[in-house]
Amino acid sequence: MDKNLHAKVLLVDDEEDFIKTLSQRLEMRGLKVSAATRGEEAVGLAEKQTFDAIVIDLAMPGMDGLETLKRIKENNPDAEIIMLSGQGTVKATTEAMKLGAEDFLEKPVDMKDLLEKINELKTKRILVLQKKSMEEIEQILKTKAW
Amino acid sequence: MKPLSAFIHKIVPYAFKDVDNFELHPRSYSQVRLLLFFIMIAISIGPVLTTAGLGYYNYKELLQKEERGQLESRLVGSSRSIAALIDSLKSIVIFVASKNRYVELTTDNNLELLFDRIKRQYEFFADIGVIDQDGIQQSYWGPYDLKGADYSKEEWFKEVIARGVYISRVYSGYRLVPHFAIAVANQNPVTKKHWVLRATIDAVTLQRFVNTIKTNASDDLFLVDDEGYLQTTSENFGQNLSQLVEDIKPGIQQGISAGGENLFYGMDKIKDTPWSVVLVEKRYIHHEEWTTFRSKLLVIVVACLVLNLLIVYGLVTMLTNLIRKADELQVSMLQEAEHTDKLASIGRLAAGVGHEINNPLAIINQKTGLAEDLMLLSPDFEHKETISGCLKVIDQSVDRCKAITHRLLGFARRSNVQYENVQVNEVIKEVMQFLENSMLHSRIRLELKLQEDLPPILSDHLQLQQIFLNITNNAIDSMSKEGLVTIMTHLVAGEVRVVIQDNGSGIPTDILPHIFEPFFTTKETGKGTGLGLSITYGLVKKLGGDITVRSHVGQGTAFTITLPIKSEDHDQN
Repeated sequence: MDKNLHAKVLLVDDEEDFIKTLSQRLEMRGLKVSAATRGEEAVGLAEKQTFDAIVIDLAMPGMDGLETLKRIKENNPDAEIIMLSGQGTVKATTEAMKLGAEDFLEKPVDMKDLLEKINELKTKRILVLQKKSMEEIEQILKTKAW
Repeated sequence: MKPLSAFIHKIVPYAFKDVDNFELHPRSYSQVRLLLFFIMIAISIGPVLTTAGLGYYNYKELLQKEERGQLESRLVGSSRSIAALIDSLKSIVIFVASKNRYVELTTDNNLELLFDRIKRQYEFFADIGVIDQDGIQQSYWGPYDLKGADYSKEEWFKEVIARGVYISRVYSGYRLVPHFAIAVANQNPVTKKHWVLRATIDAVTLQRFVNTIKTNASDDLFLVDDEGYLQTTSENFGQNLSQLVEDIKPGIQQGISAGGENLFYGMDKIKDTPWSVVLVEKRYIHHEEWTTFRSKLLVIVVACLVLNLLIVYGLVTMLTNLIRKADELQVSMLQEAEHTDKLASIGRLAAGVGHEINNPLAIINQKTGLAEDLMLLSPDFEHKETISGCLKVIDQSVDRCKAITHRLLGFARRSNVQYENVQVNEVIKEVMQFLENSMLHSRIRLELKLQEDLPPILSDHLQLQQIFLNITNNAIDSMSKEGLVTIMTHLVAGEVRVVIQDNGSGIPTDILPHIFEPFFTTKETGKGTGLGLSITYGLVKKLGGDITVRSHVGQGTAFTITLPIKSEDHDQN
């Protein structure tokens, strides 16, 4: 089993079985996983808490992957998102990338690939956060007269 | 207009209608041909026949009118000349019988001397006699002894006394020689008594005269008396003094002879005589002109008919063939469109299926993954190895399914074509390099017949590679060892044509229409996805080209790929 990866992940897919199993497997690898089967639900969850990575399926009934991506990005521009492209259409994938998705994976998902991608995002996010806190500290240092 | 067009639609035979589905209801080309033929013949020959008929009857009428006019003038001329002859004869007799000569002519042999004198001048005088008021012939000179004959009871004697001049009909009389008499009555100025001078004239005179005025040998000109007895011999109606059987009325008539010939009868009464002149013309004067006209007309009409027939036949054959070809083209285009449509919808269906299958596939994938994870975490137990093996096989199968769905989606995906100038020959050579090994392995020979001066085409290099690779691979697969693959390129009508030909097993006819359909494969299960040719088909179509196949079982298969030199789609961009 791979080394444990402590990341907080949100999975969004309409296939409950898929989400359930994938969550289970990710949790076995030490990740904290939240799951949503509908776009609206995912948007709500993303508002309440922050995730290291959000994995969204492109094709979903109702609010589809692209729409969900857009809404999450609106509320939380820093969210790191991986698209799952079951459809494999270049067009939708490019569209997703344009809307701010970090990466995409083709279904069926290879566990190794997914973990790698999540890891990358987490590292990136930590760097961003560090940079951000550094900036904040600098800002505080600048604004507050000690 | 609407009821009119509906009416036309109703009366037009089925074979002429514009029907959409000729496959189900093929039109009868023989019917089209026959109808067209008759319509065109009627249209072309109708006016010819009408004109010819009009010309025929008008000319005939014209000729007959002229004929009639000529006949009339000849009849009148003849009757006038005969009247003139009779007049001159009459005037001789009148001259001889001057009023006061009765005594002179009845005494001595003066009558004989007179007759001699007359005879010297006019030899046709047969005899001469002088008759007194009581009808007794007082003096006579001629071949018979008729002196003292009593004519007082005779019709003619009464008439001559009453009217002064009398011309008899031709009769045989005592002498049994046809002759006629001219009698002139006079009144003796001394005795106040009437006397009559009667001269008999040989009828041959009339005959001769008639013969001389008869201009045309074919005509029949004769005299007939009031009672219908012939006065001169007729060529057709018998000798003189016989009864004329034909019923001829005064004026001009037309009739048909016993022999079936057209006849013209003309009859004119000669003034102051008992005779009428009859002119019978057997045929028209213009008979020659008429027959030449008729034969010319016949030749022209027949020539027209034959020419029309030939031209119409040619035209109709051509038209029917054109219609047939157009119909066939329509049918084949419909079939092709149907086929293309079918392929496209199968493609869409395939993409949909591919997409739908991806989701359950993802679940299977995750479930086996989870199972494998759990297997790793759990300690050894019975059958653990077997279960791991099963899970691995499931994983492999999922991977295979993934490959299929991937290709399926690729089939439906219309990724953008990267246009560049491509040398088709170069692409083929590159592809052959890929395949060299597998060909060597199967000992398959490759023959390239590439047209050297092929122009570069605007197309997608990679996709062309894919196309040639797919088809050549199929060719290699279709052959057992030691086959021959021939690849030809040439420029045909502004397009580059690539023929990839093998001498392999060939494709059965029942399979041939389906080879471009997705999932259609004849390879063993698992060896082929059945997508190769359908993807190739899609690619060729995307590049604006066309792909066709011809195959004979046992002899081989030839794929012909036609590629435009400049893609139309690209030109529009």
